[in-house]
Amino acid sequence: MSYDRSFRGSHEGGDHAPHPAAELESLGTVSPAAAEKLPVTADLLSTWMGYADVQRRTLEAIQHELSRTSDTVETATLDLSSRFRELAEKAMEQSLRVEQIVSMAGSIAIDGERVPMDQLVVGMQDMIADMIANIVTLSRHAMSMVYLLDDVQKDVSELEKSIADIDVINRQTNFLALNATIEASRAGEAGRTFAVVAQEVRHLSRSTGELADRMRSKVTAVVKGVRNGHDILRQIANTDMSPQMLAKERVDKTMESLVDQTNHFQSVLETAATVSSDMSSTIGHMVTGMQFQDLTKQRLEAINDSLAIMSAGLDELENRTRVELPASLNGRVPQEWLDELLGRFKLSEMRQRFVRKLLLEGTALDEHGVLDVDAGHDDSSGGDIELF
Amino acid sequence: MDYGIEDKDQETVVRLRGRLTFNDHAKLRALIREMLQTKAKRQVLDLSALEFVDSAGIGMLLIAREEMSNVDKLLILRAAAGQVKRVLTVAQLNKIVAIED
Repeated sequence: MSYDRSFRGSHEGGDHAPHPAAELESLGTVSPAAAEKLPVTADLLSTWMGYADVQRRTLEAIQHELSRTSDTVETATLDLSSRFRELAEKAMEQSLRVEQIVSMAGSIAIDGERVPMDQLVVGMQDMIADMIANIVTLSRHAMSMVYLLDDVQKDVSELEKSIADIDVINRQTNFLALNATIEASRAGEAGRTFAVVAQEVRHLSRSTGELADRMRSKVTAVVKGVRNGHDILRQIANTDMSPQMLAKERVDKTMESLVDQTNHFQSVLETAATVSSDMSSTIGHMVTGMQFQDLTKQRLEAINDSLAIMSAGLDELENRTRVELPASLNGRVPQEWLDELLGRFKLSEMRQRFVRKLLLEGTALDEHGVLDVDAGHDDSSGGDIELF
Repeated sequence: MDYGIEDKDQETVVRLRGRLTFNDHAKLRALIREMLQTKAKRQVLDLSALEFVDSAGIGMLLIAREEMSNVDKLLILRAAAGQVKRVLTVAQLNKIVAIED
């Protein structure tokens, strides 16, 4: 197509010239009519020879460019494919890692054993509930003890009072026995036996007094012990444990937040794992998609083959025509056509290659500035687009 | 802490006010004795005006329940609020004593 258009372009303003395709056809056709000699001007033949030369070179240059392009695409595609594969592997690795984290996130290692978070929370809440139940039981028992010791203290006070009562009674008994002794001695011989009895009562009274003393000292010790115990127990019962009980509320809330947060992390990580896995499979599809290069390569090769056949045909026709021509007649450089053709190349590297093929190897003069020193060094990168 | 007793046919309602702590143990014992004297089977402790209870207070409430139970009476803790309600909840006292809102 571009061949056709370029050609026609070069003939703008020269509509008197015959259609080149028709001319080529008449030259190439082997028919009885071909044997017939036709009058052809030297100018037309010279022009035709010039075109033929340039066209052949152009076709060769195009074949060369097609091969280059195919190679470039192949190299780039292979590189891209390998990078994409690498990317797919990394995405898969990441997905595995995230899945690993997801499986760990919901549990905690305790003594080398993995305990699920919710089970752990329930366990701790049960532990705290037991602790509080113990506090309640202790408080109740402590208060029972306080009440018991309150009673014991009262009883002991009663006992102290009773011992004091015994003392009073004993003093009276002693006093009575003394009086009886005095009265007995007054009675003389008749009171002698009574004096003995009175004496015995005094002994008894002394013994009772001594017993009361012993009891008092023991009871005093008991009272002291009970009072101390009571004081200690009051201190224990008076230690308020309600703040520790209410700490359960805070612990419960903390646990709840912890579980919520863990669940949130887990769901986010699960999403991340899915995304990584999706990425990996998308990249796999991209690598498969890169196989378009194979098809492109085959197509370019087929085009190149067609161009080679065309080029060979052209070469043959050119040679056959040359044989028929006088040696003095040379092909004329189709300057307008060349200008049109070279004006289309925007890539200076490609332009240079065409110029080398068409101009340097041919006879045309350099009127396109492509061999300027600047133009030659301009595109070391090879891909720059030159706007001119 | 102080209290007021309202003796009705169906139930005896004792309204506790202020703070129930260890220091009230003698007072609470007297209250238990008074409650034992009443005829109603349902003995309600109205806790709506009680601001605070310590662990000894919880122990005393349990003793009250026991004493009532011994004479076939039912102790009910009613309308606890604030700290008192929170402590009753964390102590799971509802497993031992009847609790009403």
